[in-house]
Amino acid sequence: MEKKKFIKERRQFLKVTLGTFLSGALTSCDLSRFKNPKTMVKSPIGPNILRPPGAVSEEHFAQKCIRCGRCGEVCPYHCIKYFDIKTGGVFSGTPYVNVMEKPCYLCMKCVYVCPTGSLVPCAKEDVRMGVAVINRQICVTWQQQKTGLMCKTCFSVCPFSGVAIKIDHDFRPYIVEEYCTGCGICAYSCIADTWYENKGKKAITIMPIKWKKIKEIKLEDIKKS
Amino acid sequence: MARKSFWKRITIWRYLFLAVCFVIVVGNPFTNYYWDINFIQGWFQSIGVGNLWIVSPLEGVESILTAKFFYMPSLVGMVIPVTVALLMGRVFCSWMCPIEFLSLLTDKIFGLIPKWGNKLKYRPDLIRLPKRFLWFALVAELLFTMIIGYPLFVWWSPPGLVGRETMFYVFYKHVTIEIVIVILVLLLNLLTRRLFCRYFCPLGATLALLGKKRQLVIHYDASKCVGCKVCDTRCPMGIKPSVGESQTVYCWNCAECVDVCPTNALNFTWRDKGVLRVTPGVVKVND
Repeated sequence: MEKKKFIKERRQFLKVTLGTFLSGALTSCDLSRFKNPKTMVKSPIGPNILRPPGAVSEEHFAQKCIRCGRCGEVCPYHCIKYFDIKTGGVFSGTPYVNVMEKPCYLCMKCVYVCPTGSLVPCAKEDVRMGVAVINRQICVTWQQQKTGLMCKTCFSVCPFSGVAIKIDHDFRPYIVEEYCTGCGICAYSCIADTWYENKGKKAITIMPIKWKKIKEIKLEDIKKS
Repeated sequence: MARKSFWKRITIWRYLFLAVCFVIVVGNPFTNYYWDINFIQGWFQSIGVGNLWIVSPLEGVESILTAKFFYMPSLVGMVIPVTVALLMGRVFCSWMCPIEFLSLLTDKIFGLIPKWGNKLKYRPDLIRLPKRFLWFALVAELLFTMIIGYPLFVWWSPPGLVGRETMFYVFYKHVTIEIVIVILVLLLNLLTRRLFCRYFCPLGATLALLGKKRQLVIHYDASKCVGCKVCDTRCPMGIKPSVGESQTVYCWNCAECVDVCPTNALNFTWRDKGVLRVTPGVVKVND
């Protein structure tokens, strides 16, 4: 009888130690901190392929998102799409907005529906999906001497026109990076691809946001122009 | 003994409930896409009915573990499923899960095949693993998520995939490769009934763990039992209610044994108000 009790107690003890060990391992071991995110898992987010508005930074997005698909179901324009295992790998099931197929119109419905805080509720003006970059070699208005055109499409189409996109005295558009939301309406409606020399290239691309690199983008722009 | 009349069987209500849940989950992409009614969004990873949000416990915990970040709506959304699991055990698996509905449907369809139908309908369980395997599945799942650093069950959970594939089909007119997982889970039913749910489902393991001290249990009345053991053969989880195993962690309260018992020896009771806790291993047979 005593031996049985002893065995039972030993089992209990083993169970408790194993449980504590496992729970400790679970909370402490996190190899994602040690690996280099650029080499291990490459995020499919790139130029013109962006996260929905209000998204947290890309390193934490796939960790927080539980792939419930509510943002895509609620989107009235059906512009939110999802990666699958072919295109996304570990990121499969997370939402994205392909600006060239359909831009985000900033209705801000998806933001209020996210259950895990991967899309944080915010005002329209505070959205930072990316930053629009104008390629001045391709833009028809910047190449006025060659094309003789003066389109103001991006300026008139922007939801924050006059704030995020401004035009100078020659009606050439330029972007104020501080206020650009990266919704991609300007890139979607750019008419530069119809000019025969451009071969279907659009003048505006939306770069996914990396706040450190914005100064570099400005420098590149200056070099190009 | 006569069988219970149609509407007095609990399983009929269970099938109806399963069908309603399935229609809600599969139907909400259609309402969202074609009529822009956003009343119900999402599926069993996180479903939103109006302003009521429900977040599946395992997925919520995984996202908290990997991101190390607490978000109030997700914690509040986990309250309802956790309380349900604490009170009634793995009731989600047997009464709501779309995989359970689909496997019941496939069972029916296989039963209709002329030659093999009867054999498939009354098939024995080919693979029998120790029941503890369920906990290993949960621990392995959590360990893998922590090692990789991204939540895993959120994309391969079969009940979630049922909703996601229908959404993909309705919204983008194509289906992804992940549907193979759902088909595989359904085909594994041929080897053993609910093989995946029994031994491999981490979500089922969490719910079972929460419902260890559940209140709603199936009480086994030894004085009424004749010892025919119909309940043992009928139980889809492969446990033996005739030995009093219906009060263990592995029972998912599907009430198949309650309906099949000819002498009403098995019944739903609240654990506190129930007569006695039956010690497993004791079988009484009436004289």
